[in-house]
Amino acid sequence: MDHLDRYREIVPDYAAFRAVQCIPLYNSARINTLKIEPEKLLERLREEGVLFQSFEWYHLGLKLDAESPGKLLENLLGQIHIQEELSMVPPLVLDPQPGECVLDMCASPGSKTTQIAQMMQNKGLVIANEPSLARVAPLRSNCERLGVLNVAVTRYDGRNFPRGSFDRVLVDAPCSSEGRERRGPGVLARCSRERSLDLKALQVSLLKNALRLTRAGGVVVYSTCTYAPEENELVVQEAIGESGDSGAFRLEKVRIPGLKECPGITEWNGERLKDELSATARYYPHVNDTGGFYVAKIIKN
Amino acid sequence: MSPRSSRIRNVFEPLDRSIVAKLWQERFGISEQAFSSCRFFRKANSIWAIGDVDLPALSYEAIGMRIISCKDRPWKPTTSALQVFGRYATKNAMNLNKQEAMIFLEGGSQVIESGCDAGYVVVFYRGDILGCGLYSHGKLISQLPKERRIEKHYQEQ
Ligand SMILES: C[S@@+](CC[C@H](N)C(=O)[O-])C[C@H]1O[C@@H](n2cnc3c(N)ncnc32)[C@H](O)[C@@H]1O
Repeated sequence: MDHLDRYREIVPDYAAFRAVQCIPLYNSARINTLKIEPEKLLERLREEGVLFQSFEWYHLGLKLDAESPGKLLENLLGQIHIQEELSMVPPLVLDPQPGECVLDMCASPGSKTTQIAQMMQNKGLVIANEPSLARVAPLRSNCERLGVLNVAVTRYDGRNFPRGSFDRVLVDAPCSSEGRERRGPGVLARCSRERSLDLKALQVSLLKNALRLTRAGGVVVYSTCTYAPEENELVVQEAIGESGDSGAFRLEKVRIPGLKECPGITEWNGERLKDELSATARYYPHVNDTGGFYVAKIIKN
Repeated sequence: MSPRSSRIRNVFEPLDRSIVAKLWQERFGISEQAFSSCRFFRKANSIWAIGDVDLPALSYEAIGMRIISCKDRPWKPTTSALQVFGRYATKNAMNLNKQEAMIFLEGGSQVIESGCDAGYVVVFYRGDILGCGLYSHGKLISQLPKERRIEKHYQEQ
């Protein structure tokens, strides 16, 4: 936990941030509109006596008061998908449209892939890329359970994903997952600056390739469930930086009405970062009673 | 019913919609229209369906949803596919009551009286499609994959 001390200067109300780490996170789920009308689903849950509360900021998100929500019939039938509250943010920021061609570069287990597929109303094409063979099975099984018909799965190392001219690309990068401590206590024990720097090298390559694979005017969303600036703002700065001066990319403000974000930081360890990084968003667990997330939205000019 | 080469080469090969539609028409009375917004592929012993879009030239691990296994005879629809296309069935579909549904969801077998032909059937409960069952000698045998079953509460009949 002392590892978190390195964020003392950047996290507002640091004491509350520390305190919330030991409070377990409630279960949550997304309603799968490919299989059921939201109203009908809520009625079913009421009939079965499952206690729930809709998110204030997303009508398809539910907090569930169930011990094993994965065993609910609604989940087995693919009418809901168990998913962390903040994990529903990056697809909303990506804002995919029916009929578009979208790349989800780091896809398994497919929570965001399937949310994107549902936002596209099962039309168009989502390429769900996941290099790990073991992780392809859960990705496929989630897509099939949720009735998804617009996803094809590939297995490239995202750094070498060969070609494309995608309307939108999501890079939900492998990260140190500091923001998951409330879900799996002990995560923080494995985190360090060195680990973040190792991951940063991978994340920068992934994001650079994503920017290359996007058509002009297209959108790239970069997200992690971690706080380390090395894996967040520094990655975005380095990836857009090199061509950034010529105005090849710009950052668009990340804002979800009803959810409080903190602006991306513009200074770290005495080093000045690009001012535009304040358009990116940091979500802290004590601010909305969630996990932790970072989201950046990049437009290719 | 399809190029033998795909079974040997283990690659995705396009398959005519009419070939797939004919199977579903014969067994479930589903009209070809239900598949009009899909394309089909065959790889090894499976048939896959995806929305009607051109796929970029990439190496694919999966294309859309696996809808049919042709490993054995007769061909077997997947539970996922029945949940999407089964609602258009005009035959070989059955409705279960609550207790029957629970046995089915646990992966069990039970005696059910039904006018369905022997073979694979679409199983409904309160308007939802639970998945694929095998109807044989008056018994309905659940074909739900393990990870889609609920825990056992009921005794098999
Ligand atoms: C944070 S998880 C993705 C979660 C997923 N987007 C979801 O919402 O369900 C990161 C994923 O990236 C994958 N990954 C690791 N290295 C990668 C690489 N070089 N290229 C692409 N993906 C990679 C991991 O196997 C892991 O499944």
